[in-house]
Amino acid sequence: MKDREEVMENVATHEDWKCCFSEVAPGLLLFARQWTRSPADAEDIVQEAFVKFWRRNHTVTNRALLYATVRSIALDFIRRDTRRARRETDAYADTESTIEPQFELEDETQSALAAAVDSLPHDQREVLVLKIWNELTFAEIGSALGISQNTAASRYRYALAGLKKSLQPQ
Amino acid sequence: MNDFSELENELKKLRPAQPSPVLFERVEEALANPQTAKIIRPDRFRVNYSALGFGLAAAAVLLLLAKVNTDRRQEPAQSIAQNSPAPETKSLRPADSVANGIDGLRSRNEFIPARATQVVYNTRDEGLQFTNPSERPLRRLRYQTRETWQWRNPATGASLRVSYPSEEVVLIPVSGQ
Repeated sequence: MKDREEVMENVATHEDWKCCFSEVAPGLLLFARQWTRSPADAEDIVQEAFVKFWRRNHTVTNRALLYATVRSIALDFIRRDTRRARRETDAYADTESTIEPQFELEDETQSALAAAVDSLPHDQREVLVLKIWNELTFAEIGSALGISQNTAASRYRYALAGLKKSLQPQ
Repeated sequence: MNDFSELENELKKLRPAQPSPVLFERVEEALANPQTAKIIRPDRFRVNYSALGFGLAAAAVLLLLAKVNTDRRQEPAQSIAQNSPAPETKSLRPADSVANGIDGLRSRNEFIPARATQVVYNTRDEGLQFTNPSERPLRRLRYQTRETWQWRNPATGASLRVSYPSEEVVLIPVSGQ
């Protein structure tokens, strides 16, 4: 027990976590936003997941497990409050397209692209977010989402095809 | 690589929003203070001592009552056997008569297990936790149950029943989520 407290102190004073967190936090937040409607909720989820993960691993080399942790905590977060769960489920079912990935948009082209990403089916968008903005391999995506590597790759291709189709001029 | 390489490059130019500076402070604070973050420690073998104690106490009381009843019923039989004024009877088959009397009393006072039930009336998912150095997280489920044990005396039809609440924590390995 005493050793554990010492480890906690070392972790708390160690600066490595800041380097790791600043690197992965934007992608984690983007990933977490898929299950929440507010950035504050997404930050709560990322905080809890990262703290839990860092204390256990002291590194983020196993990225698949980190994202799996975020996903699990996000789902727990929704279930924790019945009213919240109902609200999130209703919002998700009715207006799936309103749960926007948050980007720093610079022009109209990027806005259109972000809107197209937003309109993707959830399972495809999930893979796209992990692949493009978190740079996970298909193997890592499969591990994080509990699907096969081939399924992850397939969803990714469907997502890109869907984006390309929606961005084509009419 | 493929038809989508241009599209992929465009997507990569989209930059996710940065987290608020407050988030860094919150993470730092959580890492510094073990109490603030809800790290669930492994408690696979944690026992609900109150429920266990209550159950054991109830079982002990019932066994004690059963023993007292048995003793009370045996007392008159022993006194009759010892003070019996009929020498003929005793001299004929004394061992059999005594043995039959005691066996009869035993069979009348013997309770055999008749039924055991465990009703799960509440299940709570307490989320993900890490219990060992392996890389697989575990999901913790808490089951609240009521266990009921029943004994029956086939000779008299009497029955004893013990019922007490119980709580069980189960850890299920989670693969990939």
